[in-house]
Amino acid sequence: MQSLWDACLRRLEQELPAQQFNTWIRPLVMESVPGEPNTLVLAAPNRFVLELVRERFAPRIERLAAEAAGRELSLRLVLARLEAVPPRPEEPRVSAVQPVALDRARLNRLFTFDSFVTGKANQLARAAAIQVAENPGISYNPLFIYGGVGLGKTHLLQAIGNHLAERRPGAKLRYTHAEQYVTDVVRAYQQKSFDEFKRYYHSLDLLLIDDIQFFSNKGRTQEEFFYAFNALVEAHKQIVISCDTYPKEIAGMEERLISRFGWGLTVAIEPPELEMRVAIVLKKAEVEGAQISEEIAFFIAKNIRSNVRELEGALKKVLAFARFTGRDMTLEMAKEALRDILHVANRQISVDGIQKTVAEYFKIRIADMHSKKRSRNVARPRQVAMSLAKDLTPMSLPEIGEAFGNRDHTTVLHACRTISTLRKKDTVLNRDYLVLEQVLKG
Amino acid sequence: MTRQLALPIQPPPEPTLDNFVPGANAELLARLRALAAGQHADAVLYLWGAPGSGRSHLLRACAGTGVQVADDVERLDDAGQVALFHAINRARESGGTVLAAGARPPAQLPLREDLRSRLAWGLVYEVRALTDDERGLYLLGEAARRGLRLSDDVAEYLLAHVRRDVASLGAILDHLDRTSLELRRPVTLPLVREALRDLQP
Repeated sequence: MQSLWDACLRRLEQELPAQQFNTWIRPLVMESVPGEPNTLVLAAPNRFVLELVRERFAPRIERLAAEAAGRELSLRLVLARLEAVPPRPEEPRVSAVQPVALDRARLNRLFTFDSFVTGKANQLARAAAIQVAENPGISYNPLFIYGGVGLGKTHLLQAIGNHLAERRPGAKLRYTHAEQYVTDVVRAYQQKSFDEFKRYYHSLDLLLIDDIQFFSNKGRTQEEFFYAFNALVEAHKQIVISCDTYPKEIAGMEERLISRFGWGLTVAIEPPELEMRVAIVLKKAEVEGAQISEEIAFFIAKNIRSNVRELEGALKKVLAFARFTGRDMTLEMAKEALRDILHVANRQISVDGIQKTVAEYFKIRIADMHSKKRSRNVARPRQVAMSLAKDLTPMSLPEIGEAFGNRDHTTVLHACRTISTLRKKDTVLNRDYLVLEQVLKG
Repeated sequence: MTRQLALPIQPPPEPTLDNFVPGANAELLARLRALAAGQHADAVLYLWGAPGSGRSHLLRACAGTGVQVADDVERLDDAGQVALFHAINRARESGGTVLAAGARPPAQLPLREDLRSRLAWGLVYEVRALTDDERGLYLLGEAARRGLRLSDDVAEYLLAHVRRDVASLGAILDHLDRTSLELRRPVTLPLVREALRDLQP
């Protein structure tokens, strides 16, 4: 069975982006269960990885396992017993990366496809960017990438440039921010150097233009860009454009430009989902040469939702705080470090919030918090939620009972006692409880 | 009573990192010392805090060392925001640092989203106000620097009756210093009461 799982691992490693593989697949440990020859049992280090693997990768793993075994196999995911978790391999510490000077193309060498964390939210944009970097001027022209701030548009643009620069050292590339382009147009106009300006831009093999929404209401700039655009596309030279919205939504942009933006391929970058935010934090920590637990990465990702840039800032803050205070990388420490950013002083915890969070965590419906159902899979989370309500709110037990589908206060008392006893014996439940407590307290 | 005209012999001290009362801001202060010494780790370092917390003092102290600074970012107009946006981008390209400050954490700044998210890119610190004990020490130290002798009950009285941010306390001391010179009386509780009455509108 182990060699079978090894075969699956090799396939998955080829199929998935490296950081996804390292974050979600590599921590899985195969467990041998002698009585079950037709079941592949994989142990996940925690509930979070387990849920994610079940949701995202289980069907694929099952299929690969069946192919490797030559017979149908079923997959069972379990939580690893605590002592079964393999120690993290010691990785060499990398010193913090120094900023890299830009070359004439205005490319920053740190922005590559390898350093771009991929997930559902951006895999389409990444695939298109690679396609364009491999076959500039042929596949999609222009490539139009749009999305909110701090999601990696600049990174992708620069990665295309760096990729092409490496493959074709002689290629003429230029990355420019739209506002810089506007300034350049104005300067060319004032200095009467339009011919030179045109010659330069029309001679490029690859033009990467960032945040094109800044052309809004800049008539002269739009006209110049229109000519540059036509010249480059006609000569099969590649144009890549980023924007904060899709072409038809750009305000103050000439119709003829908008329609041209749609000639090639338009792809969106969405804000990263939780799993991807966790992967981003772990990846950035690795680049910084630091090791942080998944618990801390999860805490950061859960609290910083807006964009990648702010995730980066939050991670830096935790690392700086740990270095300064010499404290261990614990969740407590991370929470303290992030107070300056989150500024959630004494957040009021409500019983609604507790029910919602607990239901989400255990993947049951919020309605089950109020229902009379007594099956273990809903009753236990409900008891956890009641116990948390007692610990974290000033509410009386009768009030709590009422909030959980009009139950008696003795039911609440019983729930609290049960959970308190269970937590002493059941390490997984105890961990779940602590995680929930921390998430709720913020 | 004759009042002697007080000469402005005591200019306010230049803000430096050394004459900032650290209180609970030791990590921030260490970071700024490194920055002032030329260690530009990130493209942006953002401080926030209530008025009087001392963030402008810190910014001015660092501006003296050649670091680019931007204070009160929440008040920037469109052109100011564009300028700061470019300054941060340039700092990122060239390995410099922009030190910016405002009244609120980045998430609550009413700025362009691309600028707002950039302010949260590097390290963010809240400039924490002093505790009352630290303020007491600050008062005594500042008074001594001005050649004033404050008794404990005067210090206590001040902390109970005036705004307790560092800037206000400094201003009150200046006022007491002047009054004491004009009236040629030492800074006692009755003089303090009198001087504070002068400040009432």
